[in-house]
Amino acid sequence: MKILVCMKHVPDMESKFKISTDGRWYDDGDLAWRINEYDEYAVEQAVRLKEQLGDSDITVLSIGPERVKEAMKKALAMGCDRGVHVVDDRPSDRDAMAIATIIAAFARGRNFDCIFTGMQSQDRGSGQVGLLVGEMLGLPAVSTIVDFSCIGEHNYTIKRELEGGVRAVVEVRGPALFTCQLGLNTPRYPTLPNIMKAKKKELLTVPVAELAGGGNLQDTVRLFFPEKKGGGMLLEGEVPQLADKLIAILKEKTTVLA
Amino acid sequence: MIFELTEEQNLIRDMVRQFAETEVAPSARIRDEEERFDRALMFDRLAELGLTGIVFPEEYGGGGADYISYAIAVEELSRVCASTGVTLSAHLSLGANPIYLFGNEEQKQQFLAPLARGEKMGAFGLTEPAAGTDAGGTKTTAVKDGDSWLLNGTKIFITNAGEAETYVVFARTDKNAQKHHGISAFIVEKGTPGFSFGKKEAKMGIRSSPTMELVFENCRIPAAQLLGEEGQGFKIAMKTLDGGRIGIASQALGIAQGALEAAVNYARERKQFESPISRFQGVQFQLADMATQIEASRLLVYSAAFKASNGISYSQASAMAKLMASETAMRVTTQAVQIFGGYGYTREFPVERMMRDAKITEIYEGTSEVQRMVIGSALTR
Repeated sequence: MKILVCMKHVPDMESKFKISTDGRWYDDGDLAWRINEYDEYAVEQAVRLKEQLGDSDITVLSIGPERVKEAMKKALAMGCDRGVHVVDDRPSDRDAMAIATIIAAFARGRNFDCIFTGMQSQDRGSGQVGLLVGEMLGLPAVSTIVDFSCIGEHNYTIKRELEGGVRAVVEVRGPALFTCQLGLNTPRYPTLPNIMKAKKKELLTVPVAELAGGGNLQDTVRLFFPEKKGGGMLLEGEVPQLADKLIAILKEKTTVLA
Repeated sequence: MIFELTEEQNLIRDMVRQFAETEVAPSARIRDEEERFDRALMFDRLAELGLTGIVFPEEYGGGGADYISYAIAVEELSRVCASTGVTLSAHLSLGANPIYLFGNEEQKQQFLAPLARGEKMGAFGLTEPAAGTDAGGTKTTAVKDGDSWLLNGTKIFITNAGEAETYVVFARTDKNAQKHHGISAFIVEKGTPGFSFGKKEAKMGIRSSPTMELVFENCRIPAAQLLGEEGQGFKIAMKTLDGGRIGIASQALGIAQGALEAAVNYARERKQFESPISRFQGVQFQLADMATQIEASRLLVYSAAFKASNGISYSQASAMAKLMASETAMRVTTQAVQIFGGYGYTREFPVERMMRDAKITEIYEGTSEVQRMVIGSALTR
């Protein structure tokens, strides 16, 4: 089986963000970088699928400057077989459509059976790239997956997370694309022997101009920090009602009670 | 000169940090409180991650990484739990490394490979009631008896004792030789008749790491388990401790780093006079000194590790690294307790544990005084 994982290098969300001088994005100097959390679930799921099926090959693709190679090395150490680094010094200038166009251009004709992406990036958070790639390649795209099973080659049973704690079971026949949500799996640590092996794995470099096509359909014109609002949410009333309200809020806004 | 970690070293740091924060840190306080060693967590998991043989060649079950990677691994573990850090350091630097450095091929296959793979744990028996810094004063004896040696004596303060399966033990084999020349090293396995464990030490710090006595009473060791040449023991011990110092220096570095981060976070949150105490210049100056001393220690530790990996003599460098890092750890953790104030003195917060843990780094594997002797004698030779 040929598997593709799309991965983005994002700032550690604990970082202190500053708006860039042009006011349209954050300043990317002085930040610690890591694999987009949702993409780490994608890498893990791809590796698990390979472990289940045996005879498979995982390509991990990332668009960005030189530093994204470090994240790709981690993905290779987690079990991907080869990396494709699409060199682009300013990927943040491209909208979701432009990024998806690049990925689709790479994937087209390469006959991937299964494509995993994160359900969104932690910095841009458009949640569009994976789905657009699916559309461009004419593949079914299953979003926000929280459970994945491959039943025989090319047949998948998926659980998706919906709002309000509801889940849906989806059956899909591959080739297909999946966008991965929190809760899908716990990504493994790359072990030391696998870190050492990753050094020898292939890491191809592709100039972005070879794959890019068309400009942006939308532009981020301003980035800003919202004004700070005072305090959090204050619940008032009798204890039993307070408890009910709290449970309702936790159910609605979080997954801790799901 | 490039002051930058390689991609591989960065990946190893990320991996060990993630493991340490997610799995080791949550139980560090309670293990210290209960003086409990958790082998599944503190050793078996390290083996699964490939850390127990990190610096040894793959042919002996190792990871084939360099000493800087090893230093980083011990540093990151010690940043959250110094007991876990020393478990790895004592196993690898003291238990396994002498077999790698001085063992013959059979000994490496039989004893080093299971240690490197983490199937067995290693330890080192040098110190005795009357022979600490003065290792030449070793009283434990080994007497040749046919095709074996009979060991008699007691070793004290042995890290990993009781838990470890493979011990490198030093004993006097020639009573007539000058005191440094009549000592030999032996590989002794747990379970050998005549080899038992004495009392478990109740310690000030690193309380989750077991420290016990080794007792040898007519313990018969096959001649094939003599490590190196007969009479070479003192040299083996000193070479082993040169490497061990990198491990302990890394442990001290990790403890200090953990304390600094705790102090910075606390100073940002703690308000006095309606302002976070981190805004006070007095506190900032303290934090600045702590961070500067830690960074200086780190450079010395990595520089000694670099030398160890590249075949450059590192005895003096590792002594400097250990001296600087351990004294820094003691200063920084004491300062961190001060910044925490009354809370720092309670066992609710980690800095008091770090302060207790830091003290041992100035004592074991060569006291600060011994490090100064090593450096001083090299300077004035």
